[in-house]
Amino acid sequence: MSNRNAYLIEPPKDNSKAEQRRYMAQLRGEYQMDQPKLNVGRFLLISLIIMALLAGVLVFSNIKLAQIEEYNLAISQGAAGEVDSSASAYLVARVAAIAVMVIYGLYALVKVLQPKRRKPNRSFWGDMGIYVMLFGVAIAMAFPLIFSVASSLKPLDELFRFPPKVFPQHVTLDNFSDLITTLGQSYVPFFRYLTNTVFITFIGTFGHVVIASMAAFVLAKYDFPGGKTFFSIVVTALMFSGYVTGIPNYVIMSRMGMIDTYWAVILPAFAAPIGLFLMKQFMEGLPTSLIEAAHIDGAGEFRIFWSIVMPNVKPAWLTIIIFSVQSLWNTNAATVIYSESKKTLVYALQQIQAGGIARTGQAAAVTVIVMLVPITIFILSQSRILETMASSGLKD
Amino acid sequence: MQRERISYNVHKAKKMKVCYLFLLPYLLLFVTFFILPIATSIYYSFTYYNILEAPRFVGMQNYINLVLQDEVFLTAVKNTFVIAVVTGPIGYILSFLFAWFINELPRWLRTIAVVVFYAPSIAGNAFVVFSIIFRGDAYGYLNSFLMQFGLIDAPILWLLDPKYIMPVIIVVILWMSMGTGFLSFVAGLQGVDRSMYEAGYVDGIRNRWQELYYITLPSMKPMLLFGAVMSITSAFNVCDVPRALAGYPSTDYAARTIVTHLFDYGFSRFEMGYASAIATVLFVVMILCNKAIQAMLRKVGT
Repeated sequence: MSNRNAYLIEPPKDNSKAEQRRYMAQLRGEYQMDQPKLNVGRFLLISLIIMALLAGVLVFSNIKLAQIEEYNLAISQGAAGEVDSSASAYLVARVAAIAVMVIYGLYALVKVLQPKRRKPNRSFWGDMGIYVMLFGVAIAMAFPLIFSVASSLKPLDELFRFPPKVFPQHVTLDNFSDLITTLGQSYVPFFRYLTNTVFITFIGTFGHVVIASMAAFVLAKYDFPGGKTFFSIVVTALMFSGYVTGIPNYVIMSRMGMIDTYWAVILPAFAAPIGLFLMKQFMEGLPTSLIEAAHIDGAGEFRIFWSIVMPNVKPAWLTIIIFSVQSLWNTNAATVIYSESKKTLVYALQQIQAGGIARTGQAAAVTVIVMLVPITIFILSQSRILETMASSGLKD
Repeated sequence: MQRERISYNVHKAKKMKVCYLFLLPYLLLFVTFFILPIATSIYYSFTYYNILEAPRFVGMQNYINLVLQDEVFLTAVKNTFVIAVVTGPIGYILSFLFAWFINELPRWLRTIAVVVFYAPSIAGNAFVVFSIIFRGDAYGYLNSFLMQFGLIDAPILWLLDPKYIMPVIIVVILWMSMGTGFLSFVAGLQGVDRSMYEAGYVDGIRNRWQELYYITLPSMKPMLLFGAVMSITSAFNVCDVPRALAGYPSTDYAARTIVTHLFDYGFSRFEMGYASAIATVLFVVMILCNKAIQAMLRKVGT
């Protein structure tokens, strides 16, 4: 711990600009390591040369591989000579070149971008290792999704090509236009499926937000007999999946005459435990004095709820709206809705997906459409969601 | 943060009525669609019930059959436990580790990373794409990749050979395991008080692992408890993935889980009593597991 004192804030030693900047950075909590200053221009030049060398190896091994393949093909068709089996060496060279390029690229990026904001107890190589690993894992996580998008853009002959390629050679939107044609021929017009889903999602989400927020408000801010017990039951209910309660739910709904109506999907969604849970945890962060002040001013509970609490928990609203939309958008409701004219969009799409080999291209298009909606919503609203999730913890 | 509540004593019964009034709509729906189903499920588990005839009481018969006669159920239990024991803890730890690593990135990169890691768990049934990647013939991507490199000479039936089904399913479930718990961790890490870290630097915390153990984990305990609930839920309720990838039923029931077994008896054979017994067993296991893990996590970092 020789340089521990380097992290204590020292006043500027003289009037130089560098000292001033160091002092301001320390005040802002950006700690400076005693590291040699990087000559960015020279570093970038060296990086460029290394990258060019690696790219040379890559191009060379690719050309060589193509030659060998052509040569072996000629032999297999009866030309004179022996089969050239040195391909694997070039394959290894190619993979190694790519790997080194990626790792070095990250290294250079870190080196150039981060010298200003280092925390004192982080080692540079530790950071590097984490960046490389995160990068690798992120690629692995994204690959299946990228692959689905790529497949949906492939023409039919490329979907069944051997050896298969990840990225389409000739990008086409045929799969999507075919999908529209197929949907146009279905027994129920496509538009009907869409309105069903939109109706279920809209009503379900709206009711869920209002009902869950009302319950969350009293659970978070008032102490009344049974409140805590009820909340711990709701937390346990977070673990129940739709399958486990599916059978008795069916029986209950059929007794209530709700089978084959939208309500069979909407009413359970009103009571989704995750929404109440997140809302209650977020509302606990609201200052109680706010509510007490309103009490003293003579506001009733409904008024307090509607015009004081609700406007202050907007991030939580948005979060539970998104969770609810995600789950309702993805329900196919096949066990409780039988009439074709009441089926949801996802159900119709899944039927196309299940259509077998002939529908491979359309199935890929369906996968993309189904996944794009929730992911887009999440991207647009992720900062609000994270704000809400910060209060999601379970206290003892 | 203030956590105190406004408390009312019994004399202010009128105020309390308002509390119950606010709770009422949610309470009614929750009881109807979450509590009542559990109760009926437990009741049906002691009966023979096929929806057409009235339930007939058979005592413990369903449970006895489940354990003594139903070999497929025992396979399902074994598979579910394998999946839960592998994907539960690994998915949970990975969610936390990645959330922690991501937390160090600059803001714009962090946003991208959160989207990339979280996307698989909300991408609907995008996991069906794995049926193309793991396809059993030479057109499957993994097979053709391995064959190009000469690692195998005949395509492997990834989704049909009982030897490979479970590992494939576990990989796919791990891919989807960065869910709500992961988001909670990311958010929680940003909420940790920065002055604690600064105090740590001065007090001689030397590397990131010490910082993790002494500062970060103890401040994250509420999120860790929440994440545990979410990961138990996803680890035990595995159903869609094996059904979509390995077929239904799968070869030698190699991909049968408790929930697919329940689905089979409930929605294909309409033996509701028997299916309810399966559901009841699953509840009890999940609740016990949750209790055990919560007790364990309370000890973290103290």
